[in-house]
Amino acid sequence: MDDYKFLFKVVLVGNAGVGKTCLVRRFTQGLFPPGQGATIGVDFMIKTVDVGNEKVKLQIWDTAGQERFRSITQSYYRSAHALILVYDISCQPTFDCLPDWLREIEEYASSKVLRVLVGNKIDRDDREIPIQVGEEFAERHNMYFLETSAKESDNVERLFMQIAEDLMKQARMTNVPRYDPNSYNVDSSSQESSCCSRLT
Amino acid sequence: MALLKCCFDPGEVAEMFDTLYQNDPGCCCGCCSAFRPRYKRLVDSIFPVYPQDGLVKSNMEKLTFYSLSSPEKTDRIGEYLYQRAARDIYRKKYGFVIIAMEAMDQLLLACHAPTLNLFVESFLKMVQKLLETTEPDLQILATQSFVKFANIEEDTPSYHRRYDFFVSKFSAMCHSGDSKEIRDKIRTAGIKGLQAVVRKTVSDDLVENIWEPVHMDKIVPSLLFNMQDSSFHKDQRIADDVQEDGTDPPMLAETCMRELVGRASFGHIRVVLRPVLRHFDLHKLWVPNEFAIHTFRIIMFSIQAQYSYTVVEILMAHLDENVKSSATIRTSIAEVLSKIIAIAAGESVGPTVLEIINSLLNHLRDSVKNGTCQADEKQYQEALINALGEFANHLPDYQKIEIMMFIMSKIPFPLVDNQTPADNMLQSILLKSLLKVGTKYQTIHLNTTFPVSFLEPLLRMSLAPDPEMRLLVQKILHTLIDRHGNLEKLSKLALNIADLDLNIEKSSRPDLIFINKHGPIIYDALYTSLQMDSNTPENIEAVYTTLALLCVELNSTETVIDLLQLLLGIQSLALSSTALSAAQKFNLHTLVIGLLVLIPDVVNIQPLSDYAKRLVEARKEEAPHCLPDMLSHYPGECEPANKIPHLLVDQMAVCDYLKASGIDSSRLSQTSPYGAGGPGVIAGSQRHSWMETSARGSIMEIQSVHEVDSAASSPGLARKMPEEDLTFESMKKVLTEPIEVRKEAEAERRKQISQAFRTATFSELVRRTQPKHDILQNRLNEIFKSLSVTDAGNVEEPKGTQIPTYEQNFPELFYY
Ligand SMILES: Nc1nc2c(ncn2[C@@H]2O[C@H](COP(=O)(O)OP(=O)(O)OP(=O)(O)O)[C@@H](O)[C@H]2O)c(=O)[nH]1
Ligand SMILES: [Mg+2]
Repeated sequence: MDDYKFLFKVVLVGNAGVGKTCLVRRFTQGLFPPGQGATIGVDFMIKTVDVGNEKVKLQIWDTAGQERFRSITQSYYRSAHALILVYDISCQPTFDCLPDWLREIEEYASSKVLRVLVGNKIDRDDREIPIQVGEEFAERHNMYFLETSAKESDNVERLFMQIAEDLMKQARMTNVPRYDPNSYNVDSSSQESSCCSRLT
Repeated sequence: MALLKCCFDPGEVAEMFDTLYQNDPGCCCGCCSAFRPRYKRLVDSIFPVYPQDGLVKSNMEKLTFYSLSSPEKTDRIGEYLYQRAARDIYRKKYGFVIIAMEAMDQLLLACHAPTLNLFVESFLKMVQKLLETTEPDLQILATQSFVKFANIEEDTPSYHRRYDFFVSKFSAMCHSGDSKEIRDKIRTAGIKGLQAVVRKTVSDDLVENIWEPVHMDKIVPSLLFNMQDSSFHKDQRIADDVQEDGTDPPMLAETCMRELVGRASFGHIRVVLRPVLRHFDLHKLWVPNEFAIHTFRIIMFSIQAQYSYTVVEILMAHLDENVKSSATIRTSIAEVLSKIIAIAAGESVGPTVLEIINSLLNHLRDSVKNGTCQADEKQYQEALINALGEFANHLPDYQKIEIMMFIMSKIPFPLVDNQTPADNMLQSILLKSLLKVGTKYQTIHLNTTFPVSFLEPLLRMSLAPDPEMRLLVQKILHTLIDRHGNLEKLSKLALNIADLDLNIEKSSRPDLIFINKHGPIIYDALYTSLQMDSNTPENIEAVYTTLALLCVELNSTETVIDLLQLLLGIQSLALSSTALSAAQKFNLHTLVIGLLVLIPDVVNIQPLSDYAKRLVEARKEEAPHCLPDMLSHYPGECEPANKIPHLLVDQMAVCDYLKASGIDSSRLSQTSPYGAGGPGVIAGSQRHSWMETSARGSIMEIQSVHEVDSAASSPGLARKMPEEDLTFESMKKVLTEPIEVRKEAEAERRKQISQAFRTATFSELVRRTQPKHDILQNRLNEIFKSLSVTDAGNVEEPKGTQIPTYEQNFPELFYY
């Protein structure tokens, strides 16, 4: 039923093949899709979750990692309440690209956006990026950090739930906007404070 | 209390989209139907027991009637329908969802403006709800409903309504990656949705400014992404697609793109084009550029005409941003530019035109600086030149002249500006551009085509050290002089004029005035260029073509004398020059005979024509090397022309034949302004008049030399006319004064001078000119040294002929 109290937009970004789509589908549909093809442009999913005893609707925009779709995917950053930047812990290049992604986020996203760094595919045994390296990077750039496995469903639920909780906390702190037909910039006004505590 | 809550649920108050906060709709219905309000019972009654039975039509009519008669209830009906649909979606009872949506549609269409507003909120919530599902069918249905909504005119649009979600979702749908059959349906829906959003919002900025980058950056790439698929879409599914809907995603996207661009006002163009350019960059669609050309043509044809040049500007700026990209990419962009620039030309006015030209020229310059020799870079330059030509082609003629002058002003001058290889390259490229523009220009009157400020630098350029450059200048002259399509026929020297089928008209008065004014400097430049020892047969033949075209275009006895005079001058040059090679001299003799054949044929002087033919016949026997074709090497046994005087053009004979035809040939028999034939003071000063106008660099120095020279070189004669001071100013005056007055005075002076030369001995002349001449000589040497010109040697040793020493010096000036 449609009885949520909060709506948050979450956007996933990161190199092609790091597992963004798998994370989203694991979270929204509870499955690990076999043979998941590369995302074209942008994909969209929703999921309503309970935080405390409130319903929170998460609007999840899953962007394509392929460079050629950058122009359309970037246009989704701006309205995001939370950005999940994903890399593949078994693939160094996806980690090396993180600074580039941050630059893009800096340029296109709201400055108050909640940013989360996610190292995915921890089920794999050919890890190239130690957890501390990811942690450090996140800390240095003022991001949350979490390692996940879409395949084994490790930390996936936690990732999105933490985001929902955190965004709700923020929204509460900044005085949940009352319904007001004359203002239509509710989104950004709810994003006054940004936190930098870590989820882990 | 529960009843109250059911009926007057605060959640039924219209909600904003994308809001964080939503009131609890607190639905508790279903259990208390007996107490349910009428509108709810009516709504419930439209749903059948089994969804496949579809909407219960009779009850739907009742509901519609009810909402029409109680408009204040409409919004609650909407909200309730939405609640039901949301519940059915949750329960995956999609059949009922579809029915709810259908009911919503019908109500929307039946209801009238004032009551619509609140209903629309529920309606849109419902649409959004359906779009949020993962069911393709529901998404498509929702889109259809949205399109219906967009087509409705609302009296009082709701200003707080936002379309952010719809733009985002429809754009995502445009990129659907579902399996094939579903994919196209979803994409089509996405495009239609975007089209609807645009239509809905474009007319009223207060509703939602659809032109915000945040929207355009989604809409534009989504449309392009679908458009670019067109090729493979078409071969795969021609038949089934057309039936479906009449449109496939690429076609539909294209239509939508046209509409969008067509609605863009000036301030929006950049917002639309920026994502276009980015899309082409990211999807690497510049090479090959078919799609880019296709897209930009669509843009150019859809955009409001007065803004079309902005597209050109933006594309040009994009070229700037791509300086670091490969030449192939830049070439492709430039080609796109050349394909659309013509469309803009019609609308461009004033400064914009020059800005565009200037920008193109700057790109050329940059390209020349970057890499001069790679083939790719050359192609890029070609593409730019083509763009320039295309652009000029569609401008009115007066602007073409402006452009030609503008380009001319950008050409670095040989030996004046610093001569690096890049400069050379730039010169030739700019000349090529000029040629391109010139080719598109149709001369009507020579005097409008060649204003002095254009003619002079052009002629100066015709004496550039690089033979290829000189050739280009001749070609420019050709295309500008030729008005009757004779260029092709005269581009090769031929002796069978009759076969050429030349298109000849009697020349007009303005043309004659033009040639009277400017003939001397034109002939002189041509003559001087023939003195260049770097000339190839091609160069010499090109000069022939120029002269032949002049002869044809300025068809009159007056010009005939000038041309014959020049012809004789060239012949003496070929006989006396020490600088030219044997082959070059043969080429010159060939040129001479070619002109001699042509001239009497054009103006119809039979005796002269016969004479020319006799000469040709004789040369065929004895000196075929003095006939076409012009070669760069001749066999060793070819006899130099001065050994076969009877095969040369005889001045006296020519005069006689002219006289025989009733033409006054006195001017021809008197003196020649060229070369060894006569004193040529007049010619000399005229020859330099266009040199002197140059206000650039070291030419200024030479100018002062001319001053010395003019005063010193005429042996002991009062050679200045009363009113005359040989400066550029005075020359200008000369040129603007009534021609008859000048002519008389000139003839008088010529006579005096030639008298002096005929009577005085050579040594006397030398003596008389010596003192001042030394100064001149020194000055010249200085200059030549500083210019480090290869031929400077010639200046230092006066030849032991009867040619006045000073006379020799003039030509050298043209070697700079
Ligand atoms: N072992 C393992 N493989 C994963 C995991 N998540 C994703 N993959 C695999 O990684 C590949 C890419 O996953 P996607 O979810 O399509 O990657 P993406 O980030 O959405 O890629 P783009 O859409 O191209 O940007 C697929 O073959 C997945 O099976 C994971 O947690 N563990
Ligand atoms: Mg993906």
